[in-house]
Amino acid sequence: MVAYLVRRLAYGFLTVLGVLLLLFVLFFTVTEPEDIARKALGERVPPEAIAQWIVNHGYDKPAVLNTEHAVTDVKRYSDTLLFEHYRRMLTFDFGRSDADDAPISGRLLAGIGPSLGLTVPLFTLGLLVGLALALFVAFFRETYIDRSVLVLCMLAMSVAALLYIIGGQYLVGLLLKWFPISGYDPDPSVVARFLALPVLIGVLTGFGGDVRFYRTIFLEETGRDYVRTARAKGAGDMRVMVRHVLRNALIPVLTNIVMAIPFLFTGVLLLESFFGIPGLGAVTVEAIQGNDFSTLRTMVYIGALLFITGQILTDVSYTLADPRIRLK
Amino acid sequence: MLAATIIAACSNNPYPDADQDAKVLYTSFREAPRTLDPAVAYTSTAHHITANVFDTALEYHFRKRPYELIPGLVESVPSPEVREDGRIAYRFTLREGIRFHADACFVRYHGQDQRTRAVQASDFAFALMRLADPAVNSPIRSSLFAVNDFKSFGDRLVSMRMQDKSFAGLPVHEQYEMAGGIDGVLVHGTGTFEIALDQPDAQILYWFALPFTTPTAWEAVAYYDGNEGRERFADHPVGTGPFRLAAYDKQYRFVLAANEDWYGLKSAAPGSIFPSEGEAHDIASGVIDAASVGKPLPFLKRVEFRRERESIPRFNKFLQGYYDAGDIVKESFDSVVQNDRLSPEMADLGMKLEKAAEPTVYYIGFNMDDPVVGRAGGDRSRKLRQAMSLAIDAERYLKLFTNGRGVPAQSVLPPGLFGHDAGYRNPYRQPDLERAAALLVEAGYANGIDAESGAPLKLTFDTGNTTSQAKLQYQFHINAWRKLGLDVQLAVTNYNQFQAKVRRGAYQIFTWGWIADYPDPENFLFLLESSKARSESEGPNTANFKNAAYDRLFRDMEDMPNTEERRRLIVQMLEILERERPWIELYFRENYSLSHAWLRNTKPFGLTYPTYKYVDIDPVKRADLRRGWNAPVTWPLYALALLVIVLVAPGFATFYRERQ
Repeated sequence: MVAYLVRRLAYGFLTVLGVLLLLFVLFFTVTEPEDIARKALGERVPPEAIAQWIVNHGYDKPAVLNTEHAVTDVKRYSDTLLFEHYRRMLTFDFGRSDADDAPISGRLLAGIGPSLGLTVPLFTLGLLVGLALALFVAFFRETYIDRSVLVLCMLAMSVAALLYIIGGQYLVGLLLKWFPISGYDPDPSVVARFLALPVLIGVLTGFGGDVRFYRTIFLEETGRDYVRTARAKGAGDMRVMVRHVLRNALIPVLTNIVMAIPFLFTGVLLLESFFGIPGLGAVTVEAIQGNDFSTLRTMVYIGALLFITGQILTDVSYTLADPRIRLK
Repeated sequence: MLAATIIAACSNNPYPDADQDAKVLYTSFREAPRTLDPAVAYTSTAHHITANVFDTALEYHFRKRPYELIPGLVESVPSPEVREDGRIAYRFTLREGIRFHADACFVRYHGQDQRTRAVQASDFAFALMRLADPAVNSPIRSSLFAVNDFKSFGDRLVSMRMQDKSFAGLPVHEQYEMAGGIDGVLVHGTGTFEIALDQPDAQILYWFALPFTTPTAWEAVAYYDGNEGRERFADHPVGTGPFRLAAYDKQYRFVLAANEDWYGLKSAAPGSIFPSEGEAHDIASGVIDAASVGKPLPFLKRVEFRRERESIPRFNKFLQGYYDAGDIVKESFDSVVQNDRLSPEMADLGMKLEKAAEPTVYYIGFNMDDPVVGRAGGDRSRKLRQAMSLAIDAERYLKLFTNGRGVPAQSVLPPGLFGHDAGYRNPYRQPDLERAAALLVEAGYANGIDAESGAPLKLTFDTGNTTSQAKLQYQFHINAWRKLGLDVQLAVTNYNQFQAKVRRGAYQIFTWGWIADYPDPENFLFLLESSKARSESEGPNTANFKNAAYDRLFRDMEDMPNTEERRRLIVQMLEILERERPWIELYFRENYSLSHAWLRNTKPFGLTYPTYKYVDIDPVKRADLRRGWNAPVTWPLYALALLVIVLVAPGFATFYRERQ
């Protein structure tokens, strides 16, 4: 197990290095630093200020080879954009935003709270609703209940997420007046009001796919011999479905869940952006809109790190769910 | 049951209930300002904060129009005095008892028990030195070059920093001191300072009514340097104003809280008491509440700004009563405004609508350096520009794109400014395609064909705005010109590339707008003065218009008081523009703002910055109306629950019956 983990971590590290190289090519070759500087500083800016900005943000160095230093000098390679990019990312020293000079790590820390506030209830509720509904329809398989839920799922999956958001804001926020249309306030007396609608919409957008996926797995299990044996031994419906079917169907379910956990931290782009929740998803959207390359690089990098973490966690979780699986 | 309990606890009120009876004004912002540094901030979002956090030496009278300067932090509005050396000087004497907002930066330099200090004349001098410092990058730096030694002080700083790295590393207030200060800014003791000018500049006092010249604490600039976890000065304003910035989270919320130590609470300065004089009709029309007159300012305890990136949710929250005032979104315009008045439904809710033409001008410009449309083409190009001007119908443009919000412009001077003539009709701004076609024939471009070469004339409309809405707007102009046979191509690039094109002079036709800094015709007419040409000085004359007669008239007019003689000169200048057509004047923006019944003193600010100290609200009325408008509708939830039971129950029954 330990050897396996070490190997996986090593592979993961190599993948990170590759991602960073890709990021470098994407971000440092497509735009001129002067363009970023003009965008950040505005229209009425003298050339000296632009030059100073480029130096302050470290964009003045050569890309991969600094020919100002001698061939034997390490600085020939280390005093470059590429090296600096690797050093910063690997040491989590993300520097300052290209758009407004604010420290990126501060923004990440500030965004994690609202993001988790949205994603944790969304994830938990989505999982519970998805699993419960899937167990329910698997139990009533091939009845009109099963078929109507499946049709409902297909309908839910066919509607674009954006429509849920706009429709939800209109229906729930404006017409029914249950929750604020959008916005955010961390004040404990009101924060739940702001999160309720996005969580509700998030669950609605996700449940169609989840229910169909879990149902298929559960159906596969309900046909197995052990289920018949359990029934024959007099186990009740609830006990069969929850203790036996659910437990044995955990592996594919776990893959789905554990892969999702790391991304709870990065927030939900659309929901955060449309509801004005200042989480990490909103940070990403804003970085894209505002040509804030340094923030965007960081967010892509963190996304990659979390993805790799998610994969490793999934593998480990298999052994916990099924003692027969050994990682070597 | 659970759902019912949850719904019972539900509310769409985005604010804590505890605030409902407090005098808190709720408003919104779209993007956080890039900077709140008073020397640099130049956007309307920033001014919503800076104009309230920073006091100025002078202010505009809230109720008088045309605008009138009144003393703010100083005892009186200074008059020009001629000094012994022949220079014109203005002497400002500070009021007593003005103190900066309590802040950690003072503790750092003056000890644990000193969280604030009194404002001194030297704080004004420090602010002016920052404006002169090229590293601060103030947008108004060149506007103060009339101050003796202002420009050379900046140049001196730059060269000293270049020569001596250790000098460049010192805190700026020490650098300024070592550079000797600005000769034209003289500090006499703690309470008086004087501005001496190299040349007369009648507009100089207006700059003392803007936050750019607010007294600035050197401690704040030195302390808030962005290092060791400290904020940047650009995000942490330390002023003296009636409000202080109590919370500043760029992602979702700013809060201005009333400053309990404000000088106005202890003095009878004109800017600290609600004015009794002003336009007579403002009380009658309801934009001023008669009960406010003579009361001490400010009325509000807090101003809360919430972030709203999208205009429709913002407007909907306004309709729910959660914002006290709002702009009208395009999509809802017809349901809010009918026949140029508030619709009956909105009037029934007690709303008020105020319209005000803003001191702005939007125009299509020709790059006069261009060989085809510019001055090199002589009479031919002039007639081409005149013909193109005759083709553009600003009224139709406004109907199509702004719901008619705007006044078609006949000249560069908007209403409300000295020199604006409401009766004037510019002969080239009355849409007339026949006359335009005739002019094209005279220019040798009949039907868009160059008579000299026989080839079609090709022109480009350059823009850095890539949104689809903007493209539609440009297409409107292009279609108008197409009716004359002119082939104008739209060249859309991103904003940076467009900027680069403008710097290189590689553009032909463009649109731009201007918002006045102060209420003087000079602030519009200078946009076409040759020394401000973009191609030579990076100035705001983006048309690169250069006309000796215009320049001469401008120089004579700029420092004159508003006399008939000045009006005569302005008429002559406008005649030159009318004939030469470097611009096709499009419109002056008109602001339609909605406010709820509980908001008082909503007189449009127009040119002055939004000073919340004059605004008042009735929180009890607000809470009542909000409650009535926002009772949650719960029956659909019960209906849904019932529907589910009705649908599922027979299935259950059948299933278990069959299993039996």
